[in-house]
Amino acid sequence: MAKAALLLIVLALPLLAQAQTPEAQLRCESTGQDFVYDCTLMLTRFGRPLEGAQVTVGADMPSMPMAHSVRPARARPGLKPGEYKARLDLEMLGEWAIKLRLDGPVRDLLVLHYEFDSKGAMPRKR
Amino acid sequence: MDDYAIGVLTNIALFSFIALSAYLLLIAGEMSFGQQAFFGVGAYAGGILTTLYAWPLPLAALAAMALGAVAQFLVALPTLRLRGLHFAMATLAAAEMARILFELMHWRREIDGELAGPDGTQGFRGIRWIFEHGIEPLHYLGIVGVLLALVLALFLMIERSKLGATLRGVGLDPELAASVGIDVQRIKLGVAAAAGALAALGGVLYAHHNTYIEPRNFDIMLGVHSLAYALIGGLGTAFGPLLGVLLDIGTLESTRVFHGYRMIVFGGLVALVLVYRPRGLLDERTVQWLRQRFS
Repeated sequence: MAKAALLLIVLALPLLAQAQTPEAQLRCESTGQDFVYDCTLMLTRFGRPLEGAQVTVGADMPSMPMAHSVRPARARPGLKPGEYKARLDLEMLGEWAIKLRLDGPVRDLLVLHYEFDSKGAMPRKR
Repeated sequence: MDDYAIGVLTNIALFSFIALSAYLLLIAGEMSFGQQAFFGVGAYAGGILTTLYAWPLPLAALAAMALGAVAQFLVALPTLRLRGLHFAMATLAAAEMARILFELMHWRREIDGELAGPDGTQGFRGIRWIFEHGIEPLHYLGIVGVLLALVLALFLMIERSKLGATLRGVGLDPELAASVGIDVQRIKLGVAAAAGALAALGGVLYAHHNTYIEPRNFDIMLGVHSLAYALIGGLGTAFGPLLGVLLDIGTLESTRVFHGYRMIVFGGLVALVLVYRPRGLLDERTVQWLRQRFS
């Protein structure tokens, strides 16, 4: 019994070593309306799609924190597992910190940095 | 109350701390463009203590305030020899030095299998004390609001005391204050330390609200806004800076009437107030008139 428990722990170690924080990838395209983007979000955890999460998407400008609040949008599940869709109505072009508040199977808050232009958004490079 | 309203109210309260710290220096006769540095010191110190060393937030906030006070005291020691614009430029230079130091700071440790801590320009992610302790956004707004109310009450008490009169005397005419035996340098150093502690308290609360900070959060824009809020709102009472924050974040921002042009409207508002009411909407004369009318 003890050996079996030990074996289970040893087998579980690589899993435990993986990041528990979900990972997120964002893809946004302009709707054609100024500063309004349709965004698709892919959420994974332990390398697998994270399904059933309630996701709220907000945004803030890193160069002017607290001063450009964007009304958070509730994301709806997409067609693929782990996919969520939301419409972002920003105030201007430039770099935005996208804030994802997760509830449901995982409760977390993720912050992603994207550069928004007239076509869509790209992850910020430093 | 929906998430957006809670977010806007929390931002108003958080901004108020740094606006009050700029106001405190203004009534002592000094214009600082560098309060964002001490806001940043508080944010980084508080975040490091709760995230990397598992300190409880209240204790981390106290330590961050102490560090903010010491940091601004040390900056004030040489810079308070300067006057007016020279002092303002020196505080701006100190704030930029602090921001560059944040960019150079790498202080990471493995927490729960993940690296956490400040990572230079990549920022500092995962300041999760609020999240891990199950504090909902509305409760956090309550905590920030109570702390702001305590700070305001302290300001109002000081303003009605002999210390308040001394502060205003030092601010309006330091030579005259010195001639009646007031140690102007000592008073200003004390004010600088208190302003640093107040800005740091705002910073630690901001870092835990946002869960993520980076050096660019603490650049000149934040300093200019904090000063503008105090100047627009008025220097007659501690409610002045709050009025400034409410006008900008509460009215211009949350209604989003002007969309991306808000900053132009805000800049124009600052210019108009400085021309027609150089000591702000709630200046000393207006506050005196209001007191007489309602007392």
